[in-house]
This record gives sequence, C-alpha cells and structure tokens, in this order.
Amino acid sequence: MFALQGRYAAWLFIAPAMIAVTVFIYLPMVLNVGVSFYDWNVLRNEFSWKGVENYLSTLDNIDFRSAAVNTAIYLAVLVPAQMLIPLVLAFLMLRVRNRFAVRTYRGIYFIPTIVSFSIAGVVWLWMFNPIVGFLNTLLESMGFAGHRWLSDPDMALWCVAAVSFWKGFGLNLILYAAALVNIPREVIEAAELDGAGAWTRARRIEVPMISPTLFFTAVTTVLIVMDEIVGVVDVLTEGGPYNSSSNLVYFLYERAFRQFNFGEAAAVATLIIAIVAFATWLQFRAFERYVHYQ
Amino acid sequence: MIRTAVSSKARLGRRGALRVAGGGAAAAVLIGSGPARSANASIDIVHFFSGADHPMELVIKAFNQKNLGVTAVSRQEGTTYEAITQKAMAGIAAGRPPAVMTTGWKLASFAKHTLGAQDIRGAGADGNAVLENYKPDVIKMVTVDGAVMGIPWALSTPVLYINMDHWKAAGLDPAAIPTTVEDLYVKLAQLQQKTGKSALAYEVNEWEPQAFIQNAGGDVLDSGGKPVMDSPAAIYGMEKFVEAKTKGLWKPIGLGEMLTAFQAGALGAMVTSSARLSGIKAQTAFEIKLAKMPGLEGKARRMNSGGNFLAILARNKEQQAAALQFLKFCATPEAMKLWLATGYLNTTKHELPMPAGQEAAYAQLADGLTPETVWPGARGLEALKVHIDWISRIVNGSATVANGLKGSKDAVAKLLA
Repeated sequence: MFALQGRYAAWLFIAPAMIAVTVFIYLPMVLNVGVSFYDWNVLRNEFSWKGVENYLSTLDNIDFRSAAVNTAIYLAVLVPAQMLIPLVLAFLMLRVRNRFAVRTYRGIYFIPTIVSFSIAGVVWLWMFNPIVGFLNTLLESMGFAGHRWLSDPDMALWCVAAVSFWKGFGLNLILYAAALVNIPREVIEAAELDGAGAWTRARRIEVPMISPTLFFTAVTTVLIVMDEIVGVVDVLTEGGPYNSSSNLVYFLYERAFRQFNFGEAAAVATLIIAIVAFATWLQFRAFERYVHYQ
Repeated sequence: MIRTAVSSKARLGRRGALRVAGGGAAAAVLIGSGPARSANASIDIVHFFSGADHPMELVIKAFNQKNLGVTAVSRQEGTTYEAITQKAMAGIAAGRPPAVMTTGWKLASFAKHTLGAQDIRGAGADGNAVLENYKPDVIKMVTVDGAVMGIPWALSTPVLYINMDHWKAAGLDPAAIPTTVEDLYVKLAQLQQKTGKSALAYEVNEWEPQAFIQNAGGDVLDSGGKPVMDSPAAIYGMEKFVEAKTKGLWKPIGLGEMLTAFQAGALGAMVTSSARLSGIKAQTAFEIKLAKMPGLEGKARRMNSGGNFLAILARNKEQQAAALQFLKFCATPEAMKLWLATGYLNTTKHELPMPAGQEAAYAQLADGLTPETVWPGARGLEALKVHIDWISRIVNGSATVANGLKGSKDAVAKLLA
C-alpha cells in the first residue's frame, strides 16, 4: 500500500512538468505535423488539404536546399569548435593558480554569452562595415585588401559562424571548467604519483571523468547551432546575400513570418524536428558508450 | 462568438481537419464583431515609427486633442512592414484587428486579399471626401483591383545623395549635378580618384533596380501582374545599374552599411529614399545635396515611388467609422504639415511648405512617379524575395544580367501562376 502511494506521489510530483512539456512542446509538435499537410489560412482559419505537396515543394525549393547545406556547414564547423576550443581553454584555466585571474578569465569568456545580441550586433555590424569598419581599416593599414564581409556571398556564412562562435563558446567553457574543478583531487594526485604528465592526465583521467559534461555539451551544442544562430543571422545578414548565410530555422522563420506560408513552414518545421531527432539519436548511439558516470 | 471555418475546397471530417484546425495554432478564431464601443471609441494605430516625438506620434496626439469622440492609441509594433503585418495577422486571427495599420505599398495586394483591408470608397461619401484631399496620381498607387486600400500616407522616391565636401574637393562643379547615370559615373570616377573615397552605393533590393529597369523603358511586372523583368529594356537598365560595380565605383554593401558609411563621410554619393534626409542630416556635419536620381542617356525618365498607406483593418462598423475619422484628420493640412517633417513627400493637394533640401524629391514627384511594384497573389511576398535574391546574384556576379533576370522571371512566374 505504501509503495503504491509512493508511486502515486511520484506521478503527482512530475505531473506539472509533464503537463507543461506536453502542452507546450509535444502537442504543438504533433499539431505542426498535422498542419504541414494543409494550406492554412490563419486569418480565416481555413485548412485546405495538400497532402505531401508542402513537403515536395519544400524539398524542391533551392533556398531550402541551400539553407540545409549551410546548416550542415555550420554544424560541421561550430560543433567541434564550440567543444574543443573551450575545452582547451578550460584546461589552461585549470593550470592558473591565481584565483583572481581565473575569475577574470571566466568573466571575459562568459560575457559574450550573456550580452544581448541586438546590442552586440550593432558593434559587429560596425566591425564588418566594408568602408568604415574596424576589420577593413586594420587590414588596409597593414597593406592587405579589405573585404565586403557580410555582403560577400562567399564570406557571409563564415562571418556569421565566427560571431556565433564568439557568442556561444563561453557557456561550454564554464561547464567544462566547473566539471574539471570537480574532479576529485586525490585521483589527479594518484596519477601524478604514478608519473602521469599533463597530457596523459588530461587524456586518461580528466577527459574521461568529465565525459558526462562533454556528452551533454555535444547534444546541446548541436541544438544551439541549429537554433540560436538565427539571432545572429537575422541581425547581421538576414540570411543573405541570396541565402548564402541562411540556415534551416531561419528559412522556416522567413516562410512563416515574412511570407506567411504556414503550411510549408509547418513542413519545414517537421523536417527540422526529424533532423534534430536523428542527430540526437546518432549522438547517443555513437558516444554514450564512452560516457563514464561516477 | 467562436467560429471555426473549414474550406469548402476540402471539407474534412471532424476527427481529421477540425482536430488539426482547432488545435493548430490557437485555431479557434474570433471573427466578426468585437465589443461595441459607443461613447468614446478607442482605435489602435499600428505603425513602426519609433520615438515619442516622431511625427506619427505628433499626428496621433493632435488628433486626440480634437476630442472627436475617438481616441487613437499609438502602437509601434516592430520596425519593418513584415513585423507589423505579422502582429496584425495575429490580432486579426484573435478577433482584435488593429483599426489602422501603416502598410507598405508593396503589400497592397496582400492587404486586400489576405488582411481584408477595407476599400475606402466603400465607406461612401465620407470615404470619398477623404480621398478628395489626395492627388489623383497618388490615389492610383493605393488602388488594387479597383479598390482603394487606404490613404496614401508616406510617399518617398529614390534620390541621389551627394557629399558636397567630397564633390568640391574633387574639383567638380557644385552647379553641374549629373542628370544621367552615364555622366554620374564619369564624375564619380573623378571624385574617387581625387579624394580616395568610395564613390557610390546603391541599395541591393528590388526598389532601386526597378528605377533602372523603368528608366530604360522596361517593367518588373506588367499591368496584368505578369513578370516581364527580362525584357531587352529591363536588361539594359540593369546593366547600367551594375556598371557602377564593374567600373569600380561601387562596392555592393548592405543598406545599414551604406548609411553608416555615408554618414561617416566615407562615401561620395548614394542612392536611397528621399525620406531619409532628415535622419541623415541629423547625423552629419558635411554638406549634403539631394539630386534627382539620374536617368539613362536617351531614355525617358520613369521613376518609381515607395512608402506606405494607412489601411483600415477594423472589422466592426463602429471601429471602421472611428478609423475613418482618424484618416479624415490625417488628410487635413494640419496633420500633413506635422507628417512632412519625416521627409516623406506631400501626397495631398494642400499647399504646404516643402521641407528644406527636398526640392529634388518634389521635382521628381512633379515629373510623375510610378508605384512600387505590388506583388500579387497568395505567394506574392515569396516572389518578391525570389526577385531580390536574383538581383543580389546579379550584383554579386553569380549571374549575368540577362541570366539573372531570366531566372527571376521564371521563378516569379511559377509563384504567381
């Protein structure tokens, strides 16, 4: 009887979160899939059946394909960068003994993450300005040719990626630094007594011991790169020139809220959900076995 | 009353579509009449002009001071036409449409067919009386399929902004401002060479290329709404547009970058909306001259316009009447005088003092302006984006002018079909 009550109690405790997640995440996801098969006139609330037409026209759309390729590039570049560079920096910070210096470094690295991009974007727009911006002024003062940066279809994506990295790497750095600090000191000392150098300690002891954090950041960084880059794209390039810096979520935003084509937007959203779900599943399949929980 | 409608095209079973429709997106919609207001109607005026002392706010304030039984509430709900349209759609879907919304010329068809903007003539004598205040040519710009979709409010046209300090420093005659693109390019080459400043910048969008296409004798869409932007005349016009780049006078950059560079005194000249003058002047210390946008040698000028109109989106009669009351005030010399401080042109027949420096824009208006291209059909806004993307490909050298315009025509035709 007591066990039964306990089970009820467990359900009771998780109910608020479950209801919120169901109502605000899973239910809209299911409804979105439904909407994707219709042409939806929001104003009259009319639905006309389109079957898979929204999917076919989306897949046939050159802008969608270009956004998909760009998304793959962003993921290929930013996920490793946002994981490896903060990890290296976290290791370096671990070696710094001065507490004030460590706090200063953490602050400096974390500031971009918490600064609103609508404010930081103004500064970046000025930096990238081809005529009066800081970057070209610097390059030209050193005798190099300036670039059009955000207006150049060959460079816009890389500018967005660079700014997105600047904006996002601080969070992973803080997580890695916290995880490294929490490794039991005696484990490290034992390894040192056994003659393990810094590289061996990092490879054999520290990285495996923070593997849950690494796995967590691997999953969340994919989501962040897919989603949060949209703010950077919107402020810096609006996806241009001619979609060269757009990504799937920005394409979805444009479809829904600039062109008001909600049926196709729902189809794009469904495809994105499928891609993210597959990527997450793949990450679990590929990396979970290397994660060591203490 | 909550009413859920299902298209007659595909009437769906209750368990099918209505479940999707009902849930999908807060689908239950309040259509029709909102709560009736009697003694003092309150109407929302949705726009994107920021600042408490912006002329839009001053017009609304002046209207409210008249105590006409209608209180206008200013609602700045974004910074772009798309953003405020998006919010208006949400309001309409929820049964609370804004009474009046500033609507871009290019969205005129969308306003009529999707947002359900009211035909001003449909308001009878009162509506016609309001329209009587406007220049007939300007009324045509807000007429879609015979219906007048609002009152012409913000009217601008692309003009040439010249940094006269650089112009003079290059030894160019301040009295000899080019009237043709060909002459402009020659003079700006001299400016660039003598001052070392970047010579020129155009906006990379659909608006300024439209001016070039029209000045060459072409059109973007014909009178029936079919894309014709790949005609020989249009190709010639676009070639003249990109010639600035091939001659090394123009480094294509974004609009924000262009404005920043010009205000910083790093650009010799730029072409942009006449309505930006007061804002630009407030940020600069050098002498600026506005000139008519140069035409093409041997071709008749046919310049375009842009801006927005005030559309009535209210659904119930009382709100519509109150909205019309507001538009009636906007059409008065008093309101127009306040509004002209923005730098937009006078769309009315009232004789009002021209803001300083706007002579060229008014001269261009007197020459006659065509409307900004109105993109028809349910996928008109998508067609607009596709067209802009092709313009961008042409400007960036990813497509030749002829191929790019052909690409745009094919893609736009598919979307507008």
